[in-house]
Amino acid sequence: MKARIVITLCGAVAALSGCALPPVQPWERGELARPDMLIQGDALETRFNEHIYASKEAASGGSAVGGGGCGCN
Amino acid sequence: MENNKPPVGQALLAAAMLLPGLAHAESPPERGAISVKYLYYKEDQPGLDRVRVHSPSVSIMTPVAGEWSIAGSATVDDVSGASPRYHTAISGASQMDDLRKAGDVTITRYLPRGTVSVGAAFSTEHDYRSRALSLQGTLVSEDKNTTWALGIGGSDDTINPVNNLVVNEGRQTLSILAGVTRVFTPVDIGQATYTHSSGHGYYSDPYKLVDNRPRSRDQDTVLLQWNHRFIERDATSRLSYRYYHDSFGISAHTLLAEWVQSLSHGWTITPTLRLYSQRAADFYFDPVYDAKFGAPFPPGYVFGGTAFTSADQRLSAFGAITAGVKVAKQIGKDWSVDLKVERYEQRGSWRVFGDGSPGLAPLRATSLQIGFTRLW
Repeated sequence: MKARIVITLCGAVAALSGCALPPVQPWERGELARPDMLIQGDALETRFNEHIYASKEAASGGSAVGGGGCGCN
Repeated sequence: MENNKPPVGQALLAAAMLLPGLAHAESPPERGAISVKYLYYKEDQPGLDRVRVHSPSVSIMTPVAGEWSIAGSATVDDVSGASPRYHTAISGASQMDDLRKAGDVTITRYLPRGTVSVGAAFSTEHDYRSRALSLQGTLVSEDKNTTWALGIGGSDDTINPVNNLVVNEGRQTLSILAGVTRVFTPVDIGQATYTHSSGHGYYSDPYKLVDNRPRSRDQDTVLLQWNHRFIERDATSRLSYRYYHDSFGISAHTLLAEWVQSLSHGWTITPTLRLYSQRAADFYFDPVYDAKFGAPFPPGYVFGGTAFTSADQRLSAFGAITAGVKVAKQIGKDWSVDLKVERYEQRGSWRVFGDGSPGLAPLRATSLQIGFTRLW
C-alpha cells in the first residue's frame, strides 16, 4: 500500500515539475494572483469543513499539519 | 475586463493566508484582515435528529514589519443532540451537550526565497483537550514557478469521558508534510501534497458500545489540486482529489469540484460538488448480532476479550455526496460578505469500487455559513 502511495506521489511530483512547459513570466501572473486561483481556500470555511467531515467520515487531513484535534474521533 | 471590476474576494485572499498550509503567496501580506463567521450545522437520519452545532468564529491576520505576519483564530462550537451508541440504532442513543473552544496562532517569516512558519493550536471540551505545534518551510524556485514545502507537526490529546469508562487516556500524533506547487501556464496552477501521520494512544470511542480499536494509527494522504482560469467566462474551476489510507484498513477517495463564477457589481456565485467513498475498517462489523447476546454484540463476542470491534457508522463502507452553493459580495474596497448552504447525504449503497456496508440508515446533514471580512 505504501509503495502505491509513493508511486502515485512520485508521478504527481514529476507531472507538477513539468520541465517541458515554458516558464510563466512575472508579467503573465495577473490571473494567478486572483483569490479564487489560490490553492488554499477560505481559512475559517476550511476549518469548519474539516471538523464536520471528520465527525462523520473516517478520512481526514491532507493539506496541513499540526491542527487542533477534537473528541469527535 | 476583470481589472475594471471591484477586487472580488480580495478579503478572502487575505483570509486564505490565515491557514497554515500550502499556498502560492510567498510574499508578505500588505494588509491585515479580520473575518467573522457563523456556522449552523444539523444532521439527522430517518426517525432521529442527531447532532446540531452552532459555531461562531473569528480570525485575524496582520503583517508585521514588512517581513513577518501573525495570524490567529478562535472558535466556539456549541454541540448538542443525539448520537447512536452502535450502528444507526435509535433506541438508547446517547445525548450530548458540549461546548468546544479552539484557537490557534501562526507566525510566518518571509524570506527572499521562501517562508518559515511556526504554529500552535489548542482545543478543549469538557471531556477532551488537544494541543498541537507545527513547523513548516517553503522554498521557491528561481523562476518563481515552483514552490516546495516541508512541514512537521505534533499533537497531544487527553480524554476523560463523562462515563468514566477510561480516565486520563491520551493520544500523541506526529505528522509530516511534503508538497510541491507548480505554475503551469498563466491560467493553470497545481499542487501535490503528501502527508503521513503516526499516532499512539486511545482511539476507541468511549460513548459507543463494544468499541475497541487498535492503540496506534498510521494515516497517509495524497492530495492533488488544480485551479484553472477561464478568462472569457470570467470564471475559475477548482478541482481536487484526495486519496486516504490508514492502518485501520480504511481507504477513501474524495473528489471536490468548485466553479467560481464572477457576476456584475462584485457578486460571485460558487456551486460546489463533493463526492466521497470509503472502505470499512478491518474491525467494523455489520449489524448482524450474536444469537445468544443479541445487539449490539457481534457473533462470537467474548466479554473481556481483546479483539478489535466497532459498530461506528463512521468506520463502515459508504459513499457520500455534498452539493452546495456559496454567494459572495464585495462591498467597497474593504468589506466582503458571504453565505454558503450545503446539503450532505451518506449511504452504504453509494460506495464506489465495492459494496457498501448493509443495514445502516442514511445520514443526512445541512450546513449554513455566513461570514464577513474586513481589510485594513
